[in-house]
Amino acid sequence: MKYSIFSLARAALSGHKNWPRTWRDPEPQKQYDVVIVGGGGHGLATAYHLAHEHGIRNVAVLEKGWIGSGNAGRNTTIIRSNYLLPGNIGFYEMSMKLWETMESDLNYNAMVSQRGVLNLYHSDAQRDAYARRGNAMRINGIDSELLDQAGVRKLAPFLNFDNARFPIQGGLLQPRGGTARHDAVVWGYAHAADKLGVDIIQNCEVTGFTRDANGKVTGVETSRGTIGAGKVGIAVAGNSSRVAAMAGLRLPIESHVLQAFVSEGIKPLIPGVITFGAGHFYVSQSDKGGLVFGGDIDGYNSYAQRGNLPVVEDVCEGGMALMPVIGRVRLLRQWGGIMDMSMDGSPIIDKTPVDGLYLNAGWCYGGFKATPGSGFVFAHLIARDELHREGARFRLDRFQRGAMIDEKGQGAQPNLH
Amino acid sequence: MRIACPFCGPRENGEFSYLGDAKPKRPAPDAGQDAFYDYVYLRDNVAGEMEELWYHGGGCRSWLKVRRNTVTHEIFSVEPVAGAGAQKVAS
Amino acid sequence: MVELSVELSWAETTPLSRIYAAGRQGAKEHDAGLTMAEQTGFELVQVMARRGQWSATDQACKEAYGASAPAKPHAVVAQGALLVWSGPDQFLVLSPRGDGLERARLAFAGMASLSEQSDGRSLLRISGARSRDLLAKVCSLDLHPAVFPQWAAAATSIDHTSVNLWRSTDRDGEAVFHLLVFATFAESLWHTLLDSGAEYGVAIDAPGAWQA
Ligand SMILES: Cc1cc2nc3c(=O)[nH]c(=O)nc-3n(C[C@H](O)[C@H](O)[C@H](O)COP(=O)(O)OP(=O)(O)OC[C@H]3O[C@@H](n4cnc5c(N)ncnc54)[C@H](O)[C@@H]3O)c2cc1C
Ligand SMILES: [Zn+2]
Repeated sequence: MKYSIFSLARAALSGHKNWPRTWRDPEPQKQYDVVIVGGGGHGLATAYHLAHEHGIRNVAVLEKGWIGSGNAGRNTTIIRSNYLLPGNIGFYEMSMKLWETMESDLNYNAMVSQRGVLNLYHSDAQRDAYARRGNAMRINGIDSELLDQAGVRKLAPFLNFDNARFPIQGGLLQPRGGTARHDAVVWGYAHAADKLGVDIIQNCEVTGFTRDANGKVTGVETSRGTIGAGKVGIAVAGNSSRVAAMAGLRLPIESHVLQAFVSEGIKPLIPGVITFGAGHFYVSQSDKGGLVFGGDIDGYNSYAQRGNLPVVEDVCEGGMALMPVIGRVRLLRQWGGIMDMSMDGSPIIDKTPVDGLYLNAGWCYGGFKATPGSGFVFAHLIARDELHREGARFRLDRFQRGAMIDEKGQGAQPNLH
Repeated sequence: MRIACPFCGPRENGEFSYLGDAKPKRPAPDAGQDAFYDYVYLRDNVAGEMEELWYHGGGCRSWLKVRRNTVTHEIFSVEPVAGAGAQKVAS
Repeated sequence: MVELSVELSWAETTPLSRIYAAGRQGAKEHDAGLTMAEQTGFELVQVMARRGQWSATDQACKEAYGASAPAKPHAVVAQGALLVWSGPDQFLVLSPRGDGLERARLAFAGMASLSEQSDGRSLLRISGARSRDLLAKVCSLDLHPAVFPQWAAAATSIDHTSVNLWRSTDRDGEAVFHLLVFATFAESLWHTLLDSGAEYGVAIDAPGAWQA
């Protein structure tokens, strides 16, 4: 099925009742060349790139629930490449470029919307830090603009500029940043991977690994039986430690809950993505009109996929400090997802000490924007057994070697990243 | 989630700060790099019952050891850790 | 050399004096639902028993202040001072300005660490029929008389600010709450409390010397 204006017109003639499935629902086969554990954005993108770039099409993605039931379907959909440090900066820009061609690459409307990401600053010191980050971005060919207060006023006149405690002095803008429809990204990769022959198998939980006499991974045990695999890639986000433990591995990762919120729909207000620089609050507006916002992680280990009230209050306080104009808007829904918080706040894409087992993890609260890049780099690693240039620093052993990529400079305290 | 501070009584979790898993113990100074790598960076990241350290910074400023289920957020026990307060509770 | 002339004033001030305005605040169409006031003229000493020295500290407290040191969250009216629990093996000695520190120093020498906090904290009083309604908006504790009677005390957070809270003797049949807060947070907390109480109408008394 190719989506186009013609397919749309054709489907309209039969009242949109005859759309074919976007992807098949196959029974698992006995053996695959590659099995990917986890049907979030990263797992599906990896499968797509294995098939598309590397011609490896005998691939299965195993998902314990339904695809996109994890963080891929729970995030606040922000995409950007406004990083500071080598390792991150090139990777996220590569990912950004993949977002820019994703819809035609996948033949799927992912509602990629580059309406700008604006990080506000509220002090001279913060301005200097943003100027530094903006310069690092420009040196690497990434768009960035340091705005003064007048510049921010032009974009978002409704902000509380004269807040006595946190006056808005300006902001760092990445015009190419923005949002994308998270579910559509999952469905788009599923659609494109399926078309190339990838089996997407839902309701299939991986419960263990099969190994040969040398310890090499030969497949996975699942709730739907044992499935053989030449290679196995793990892309299970918040469940990384649990799945890695099935192969006897301990990871530099803790699982924490992050909450997100959406309000009732209102008329267009928020031009792009706006982040508060003096508290934990960030916001964008969906095409339906709802304000999509969030803040800090709850701060304690959790696998519960729900958070607690103090953070709800904290996020709303941040919102009110930044834009009192939203004070009467009603909150519609609130939910949580489980973040794979790494010890330096940056991801891991690497082989593991277990032969045949590959790891994609540690995305913290920022892995949605990484989805295309992560799939691209992870597929390269699995297919060729070599690191891709843009993912070369995301090593599992970097903590041992002292080669951390710590954007915030927080050290090994995952709830602070 | 409410944590019953043995000194203050039940309080909302916003009054507490989280350090994390109570299990990692600082190795001896000469234990070698691998032991320190393990201590600083590797975590069991338990899905289930876990002992962890919380600080009642918004209350009596005591360090507490909390046994909690990370899947359900159910709390089973809260005890003070070393210090004057702990001694008092034990006696 | 240029002679600089700097005008210094040693006039006594309080953490809230910059923003303090006695009189009515908030709703005015009915009688004030509550009264707020800054309390001044006190001396405050933090007492922390050294390890293993709690019983000695308690004994010394009985001798010097005629009352047991508070071992659980409550406040104790003692001779010339109020003893407010602030944590395990520690409490605050609040007394009218005078010889409070010297008295504590003599009482607890060798067994407890003392720190003088008189100018480090600000003391607020909230009383009247709607005071519990105001506090319910910003404090997560249940302050119902059944669980928070007269002389109950708590160390808690209000509006992200650490507060020692206690209830003293009722006035005109209504509860009286005291909030002890770090001086630099006092303005912020005061604003929050005023905002929360505005709908009930707040009468702000002139700052007055603290009394137990
Ligand atoms: C509230 C919230 C807001 C966020 N906001 C942003 C944002 O604005 N921008 C941004 O860039 N990032 C954001 N993120 C982070 C981003 O969503 C994640 O980093 C990213 O989605 C993780 O990759 P994934 O899509 O592959 O994960 P997931 O979608 O979580 O995929 C992992 C999958 O593995 C499955 N799985 C787990 N265990 C097993 C098993 N044993 N067997 C089989 N399958 C298994 C899970 O069911 C899940 O579907 C946010 C996250 C949350 C929760
Ligand atoms: Zn406590």
